Amino acid sequence: MTRKTTSYRLKLPSRTDNLETVRKFVADLARKAGFGKEDIHKIELAVDEACTNVIEHAYENAEDQDIDIVVKLGPQKLTVIVTDRGKTFSPGDIETPDMEQYIAELRVGGLGIYLMRTLMDKVQYRSLPDGKNQVKMEKYLEKRS
Amino acid sequence: MKIDVKEYNDVTVLTVRGNLMGGPETLAVHEKVKELIDQKRLKIAIDLSSVKWMNSSGLGTMMGCMSSLKNAGGDLKLCGVTEKVKSLFMITKLITIFDTHDTPEDAVAAFSG
Repeated sequence: MTRKTTSYRLKLPSRTDNLETVRKFVADLARKAGFGKEDIHKIELAVDEACTNVIEHAYENAEDQDIDIVVKLGPQKLTVIVTDRGKTFSPGDIETPDMEQYIAELRVGGLGIYLMRTLMDKVQYRSLPDGKNQVKMEKYLEKRS
Repeated sequence: MKIDVKEYNDVTVLTVRGNLMGGPETLAVHEKVKELIDQKRLKIAIDLSSVKWMNSSGLGTMMGCMSSLKNAGGDLKLCGVTEKVKSLFMITKLITIFDTHDTPEDAVAAFSG
């Protein structure tokens, strides 16, 4: 039997104290999808990083804006789509750090995108025609730990 | 977030409670370390046993504390790192630069070892 894709949505104000709610929302759905403990933690962390980027960079810490999170559970993958109306962000401008060099130079910051790309199987950014920013992250079930 | 300070001879143990995930609260940890450096307290252990969650901003703060201490000729050790936080250090490979211990007592002992 083929399982169809089901979507779940959470919309919250752009405050870091809401991130716990976001993490619980995605962790519960990842568990429901059949991911193991380690992958659930990776998904939680990646979504936390995506939302933190929205709060700190897109909304520049304004607390009254919306973060829209949609989780889609399909037969083979979990997809998380985070959408905001903040400042446009170009991930292409941010280099993925070489961790060996990063550590050697004791650098500070710039790890968020690296983490998202490391924790998820696919990460895509796009600017929507209506001016919103969107990051779409996918984790495949066959790669579960 | 709350930071408790305890001194064991020349070693200062900072116990951080709450989440390290960016914003002014996370910066307060680095500020406290810089304040201790100004007081010539250069051996610092950060107890993370009461930190439930850390993200890349928290990691950046730990890197900042390490960097400030190294530049001042001091050293930083971590203790009580929970499983979730430890996995973050492993994924980013930052585990290789932090000397981690189970308890504050172990971290203090490691400074004289």
